[in-house]
Amino acid sequence: MIKKSIWIYHLNTGGCNGCDIEIIDVLTPFHDAERLGVKLVGSPRHADVILLTGPITRQSMEKAINAITAAPDPKFIVAIGSCACGGGIWYDSYATVGGIEAFYKILRERGVKPPKVIYVPGCPPRPEAILHALAYFKGLASKKIKKRVFVEK
Amino acid sequence: MRILRLEEIENPELKEIYEEIVKRFGDGILRSELIAGNKLHLHVEKGFLRKVSSHIFDELGAFYCTTAGVDERPLGGGFRAYHIFSIDEKNLFIVVSAEASPSLPRLPSIANDVQGANWAEREVRDLLGIEFDGHPDPRRLVLPDDWPEGVYPLRKDFRYDLKEVPRVKKQYPMRRPEAEEYVMPIGPYHPALHEPEYFRLYVRGGRVVDAEYRGFGVFRGVEKVAEGRLTYTQIPFIAERICGICGFTHSSCYCEAIEEASGIEIPERAQYIRTIMLELERIESHLLWVGVACHLLGFDTGFMHCWRIREGVMDLCELISGNRKTYGMNLVGGVRRDITEKGREKALEYLAKMRKELREISEVVSGMSELTARIKDVGILSKADARKLSVVGPTARGSGLKRDVRVDHPYFAYGKVSFKIPVYSEGDVWARLMVRVEELFSSADIIEQALEGIPSGDLMAERIEIPVGVRGLGVTEAPRGENIHFLITGAENKIYRWKVRAPTYNNLPSVPIMLKDESLADAPIIIASIDPCFSCTDRMVIVDEKTGEERVLGAEEILRLARRGEIR
Repeated sequence: MIKKSIWIYHLNTGGCNGCDIEIIDVLTPFHDAERLGVKLVGSPRHADVILLTGPITRQSMEKAINAITAAPDPKFIVAIGSCACGGGIWYDSYATVGGIEAFYKILRERGVKPPKVIYVPGCPPRPEAILHALAYFKGLASKKIKKRVFVEK
Repeated sequence: MRILRLEEIENPELKEIYEEIVKRFGDGILRSELIAGNKLHLHVEKGFLRKVSSHIFDELGAFYCTTAGVDERPLGGGFRAYHIFSIDEKNLFIVVSAEASPSLPRLPSIANDVQGANWAEREVRDLLGIEFDGHPDPRRLVLPDDWPEGVYPLRKDFRYDLKEVPRVKKQYPMRRPEAEEYVMPIGPYHPALHEPEYFRLYVRGGRVVDAEYRGFGVFRGVEKVAEGRLTYTQIPFIAERICGICGFTHSSCYCEAIEEASGIEIPERAQYIRTIMLELERIESHLLWVGVACHLLGFDTGFMHCWRIREGVMDLCELISGNRKTYGMNLVGGVRRDITEKGREKALEYLAKMRKELREISEVVSGMSELTARIKDVGILSKADARKLSVVGPTARGSGLKRDVRVDHPYFAYGKVSFKIPVYSEGDVWARLMVRVEELFSSADIIEQALEGIPSGDLMAERIEIPVGVRGLGVTEAPRGENIHFLITGAENKIYRWKVRAPTYNNLPSVPIMLKDESLADAPIIIASIDPCFSCTDRMVIVDEKTGEERVLGAEEILRLARRGEIR
């Protein structure tokens, strides 16, 4: 999906640090994501992939939208952890938006085209799982589940 | 309700303190009770709140812990604020509370006498709408900027899952820079680690003259969710997700509070297991911090080595609990998993290896004059300031305050092990680094002793009944310092009020003091030196106020400048 080196930007939208620390763990020599050409960058303007953690709190939402719109196209989001994937334990709290789906709804309402998203569930996901997502962008690994839609009758 | 009689108090030191308080403020005390033998609750008349609080803080030498606001209207009262103080050397807690009327909630502010209460009172104002008269800085603290005035989420008539609170356009009011002053924002997003937080530094010629903080980007409404949706046995799991680094200390603290409130005796083996897990967590957290500190100082080799050593403790935790983080081992009344013989062997093996490797790396770090020169005499927090703000944990111990909950208020198996508490009086970044490095060795000592002395037996208490309407106070020593959970139990297997105070809450207000008159290049390491759950390798924006010209420094550039120890 991405031919050149993947530059990643880490966007914490209210995560508890569990996923954030595992992301750093992926970048340190033990797991060594840099061998895949992955580089952590300090600005969303340089990023190909945004690693999003946390349930998107009300306070961080506007800032998260700014960061996502600042990233150049084509861009991808990796929703890391249960919170980012679906709001996690905070899905219905008054202080959070509640996961990437609800967040994308707000983005669409505002006329921002939401980037394609890859889900990495877990609380926190293992470093290997995050590495798997990054390897997917390089075509080294395949998706583990297919999209299925269930309709209530 | 009634006033406690003197004969009812067994502890002679508490008796003396209580006698003095009754003698001086007798008329103002409406109600008093003693919980768990060492926690004195005083319900005082509004007008006496300041006097009683400053008596406890100034004359009794107590430290301020936190303030919990409670909506007691459904219980037939008004709004109540509980100010919690701890007298460390005597293992006592004094909780002073006053009630505000339900129609117009107002209370006198104690923040002028007890500086540490500044934030906590602002939080109570945000969440419950109690106005504190005479508060020095009544700005918003925890709620988002776009939250409308007059909507108070912790009131009982607010639904925890109400998402349709309207968004208002409002900016958080911050001090305008004066002439010759530059504003240097740090945040809200950081390239390397952690949370959306925002520091605003006021800079004059490369020197920091003032700093302001606007954080709480991670405010997820934990307390309300727990009150609204979760049962007693589910809360340890949400408590563990308060922090992904020191989550176990939160779930332990919650369990401690509930167990104390309902008089549950947990089996000794469970106490030892909790102690061991808490210390493993401390090792993991401190190694993380030492690594990040090395990174901020430009010593990336040290960073990588610390994280390599840390990988062993993560594997060990996975072996014991089944997960690298968020262990999910605590339940009210005990623990869910045992430490097996294999876990014990692996732990001892790891600790021996960690000691050796850590000794090597700490020798390298302390021998590098270019590194120590960057942290000695930098970011000083004096003992007096530390006491005034009631800072906790390694931040306090680096400033010469010998405070450690593990010794002052022993819990779980900490009373049965012996260990060294490092205290440094310098108060600089170096002292805080050394405290943490030495604590790593103490933690290894504790785990080894606990693994040696762990008795066999059950993991869960047999009888678990939680009465309605009792108060509990749990205190643990998190890697960053004293962690406090205050709770009131409720009906239908749910909690009525749960207040969480993490250590960084007390430590962050000390950062502006540390930053004052320091070089801008040292700001990242000073902010990180309290281990504020985030490291600060940030991008910064320099705005020239006179010309309005904006210059953005990238993370790389800032790091390069910070490492060189200068800034253009």
